[in-house]
Amino acid sequence: MKWQIAAGMFLVLGLIVLTLGLALSEMPRMELFKASNDARAVESGALLFENSCRACHGPQGKGIEGVAPPINAADLYDGSRLAAVGWSGTTEDYVRNVIAAGRPVPSAGTTYPQRMPTWSDRFGGPLRDDQVDSLVAFIMNWEDRALAEGGDAAPPPVVEGAVGTDLAVSLPEGDAVRGQQLAEGALGCSGCHVLADVGPAWNAVGDQPGVGTRAATRFTQDDYTGQAADAQQYLVEAVVQTNAFIVSGYPANIMPQNYGDRLTGQDLADLIAYMNSLR
Amino acid sequence: MAIFRMHIPFLDEVKAKGLRQAGRAKADDLVTRVTAGLNPSDVRGLLRDDPAARPNPRLTPHAEGFWLHMRPTYYHTLVDGIYPTFRLGWLSTFFFVFEIITGVFLMVYYTPSPDAAYENMLNILGNVFLGSTMRDLHKLGAEAMVLVVALHMLRTFVTGSYKKPRQFTWATGIILLGVTLFLSFSGYLLPWDQLSLWAVTIGASMVEAFPPEVVGQTMNLIVRGGPEFNADGLLRFYLLHVVLLPLIGIVAFGVHYYKVIHHGHSLPPEAEKVGEDTAKRVPLDRRVYFMPRIVTRELFYIVALVFLFLAAATFFYEAPLEIKADSLVTPLHTTAPWYFLWLQGMLKLGDKVIWGVIVPTVLIGLLLVLPYFEVGPSRRYGDRRIGLSVAALSVAAIAVLSFMGTPWYGVSTSAEQEAVATLLPQTHPGPVRETEWEAIELGTFTASQYTAAPNPAMAALLETFHAEVLKVNDAERSQAEGFMIVEDWQTDLRKVTLRVVWTNLADNSPGEYSQVTYVHRQAAYDRGGGS
Repeated sequence: MKWQIAAGMFLVLGLIVLTLGLALSEMPRMELFKASNDARAVESGALLFENSCRACHGPQGKGIEGVAPPINAADLYDGSRLAAVGWSGTTEDYVRNVIAAGRPVPSAGTTYPQRMPTWSDRFGGPLRDDQVDSLVAFIMNWEDRALAEGGDAAPPPVVEGAVGTDLAVSLPEGDAVRGQQLAEGALGCSGCHVLADVGPAWNAVGDQPGVGTRAATRFTQDDYTGQAADAQQYLVEAVVQTNAFIVSGYPANIMPQNYGDRLTGQDLADLIAYMNSLR
Repeated sequence: MAIFRMHIPFLDEVKAKGLRQAGRAKADDLVTRVTAGLNPSDVRGLLRDDPAARPNPRLTPHAEGFWLHMRPTYYHTLVDGIYPTFRLGWLSTFFFVFEIITGVFLMVYYTPSPDAAYENMLNILGNVFLGSTMRDLHKLGAEAMVLVVALHMLRTFVTGSYKKPRQFTWATGIILLGVTLFLSFSGYLLPWDQLSLWAVTIGASMVEAFPPEVVGQTMNLIVRGGPEFNADGLLRFYLLHVVLLPLIGIVAFGVHYYKVIHHGHSLPPEAEKVGEDTAKRVPLDRRVYFMPRIVTRELFYIVALVFLFLAAATFFYEAPLEIKADSLVTPLHTTAPWYFLWLQGMLKLGDKVIWGVIVPTVLIGLLLVLPYFEVGPSRRYGDRRIGLSVAALSVAAIAVLSFMGTPWYGVSTSAEQEAVATLLPQTHPGPVRETEWEAIELGTFTASQYTAAPNPAMAALLETFHAEVLKVNDAERSQAEGFMIVEDWQTDLRKVTLRVVWTNLADNSPGEYSQVTYVHRQAAYDRGGGS
């Protein structure tokens, strides 16, 4: 019994020391926790960006010509874009607002055919508040580097040997693998034709076959309004003369109309090879 | 003539005896009132372990005071040692109180709503003074309580203490075991992270299997508050956790402890004649009085346990918190909480209705009424070979079934997914995230060339990866190789792609599987911490 009393007293002292030590280290610990939590939000945001944003805004947020504007650009963080749209809050608030509620109207001077959709589940989108916050954390993490690079986003380079809009153009042998890389990367096709249902889906969906199969017969349909004489010409037309024929159910002018200037003959051939592989 | 008359007797005392004398008498009186009958010299005698005076003043608090009237005034020396009780019942009670205290602290900062619960956890961990310690203590206490209560039942079975006249004590004990398990289980959901949502989803999926179908579906809706866990389900589990189950627990505990005292602590089986129960007839020379022996020991235990758990929570243990619950994303290798792994293991044996519902229900029912049909008179170990064998087999079966409940047994995921999940598990941070950020160098690394890795940490990762990737090679696939591609993605952010490629032998076509993660310099998974 005596040793229990002695040990108990000793342990009470130990408890006091332990609690004091804990209390003293609590503030820095909480700071560390918050820092690591913010860092993990950036990680989750990166994954969300990859899944939901990359297809239109590009893998590094540099934007895709004719599809969606750059986010990883100095003008977003230095305040000039906010001034242009008349936003009086912070960049972070602006980014959060645009992700959550979308953009019903394009910014003045831009020609992006598609509107930014609503992403927050408060406005009918798929993401929870914390996911929107994570995305914002990820996008705001571009600030340093975007400002360091500085300046406006470079104007789109003029493509040497662009394929033009002639349907009868002769194309080299296409590479479907490279075509897929183009569609999912710099050209941004997958943003609307694979992930979102903005344009007709390329993959087979339900009883509707893939774009390759559809192209083989579409130019023979009664309601077809274009000039194509075969499947290849139909696909060329669909890419470079985007309003020649509008698939029923979709509005005109959604598809960027400048692919004829942006693609080389090889690019177009690869893209068509990829589309033809989707049966 | 006064309307209001006040009389302070103490002042009369001061007048009569002087301030010093009166003050001393008042202090003595105060001690006697607080201790419900022990004056200061009695207390001093207690602390010095002096022999008790006659009549024994140390019995007065048992008669006068509320708390001590529940405790016996003395124990039999034979139940005073570690054996035969191992103090497991006392420990169960200790943890129940421990959980209430830490739980009330956490309740203050918690809102049972999917919109707020997870953010509350982040607040508790990052903003509440000692919040993370309290959470660790609550979680550790809960795990310990499940273990202690289960062991208490096992001990009671082994020493045959459930036998007549203690059948009903055993039955209330089974209820308390259930309360403990479901308290722990319902608390599991409350942080509302991926870990909790899916562990509880697995546990609750058994309810759905209850036959007939309409009953199972209705019960499922009642438990989850909808087809999936959401706001209603979370609120229900919260109310179960903080109101209903504690209430049932307190009531059942009251009955249980009353019965324990009423019948006396059962003596070691070999100490009595077969068929006799002499627990209440304690000879004068075999008595260990509650005061001072037992109370000193219990106070010592309380301080020691609190110290132990606080030290564990400070230096060794961090209650996990994964990313926020998402009912659309099922993490690979989700398991039920460890104390329900045996159920998950049983589900892998076959039919959900038989193994998930009927067998557990029958087992619990049997356990509840065990003392009413197992009526062999002898509590001696030598006479209970069948019973003790069944107990040993049950323990072994629970261990085996629990192992079968883990992802190591009978989960049909393909080898390439397993290889990636070894480095990037979906239920805990895992090796890649726990590796020091600076060590994850930029570049493309081949798993089989782990010896050429730029640093030991990367070499360890690649070697682990390589060992797992080799399992992709089988009758249909060969030339499996793993790649780890690390790219600079943002300030302080790196993109890590784990890719497995192989050749399908049937048509020589290439196969590929890859998964991407991002690692931030400050994420600090190696230090434990947040979401």
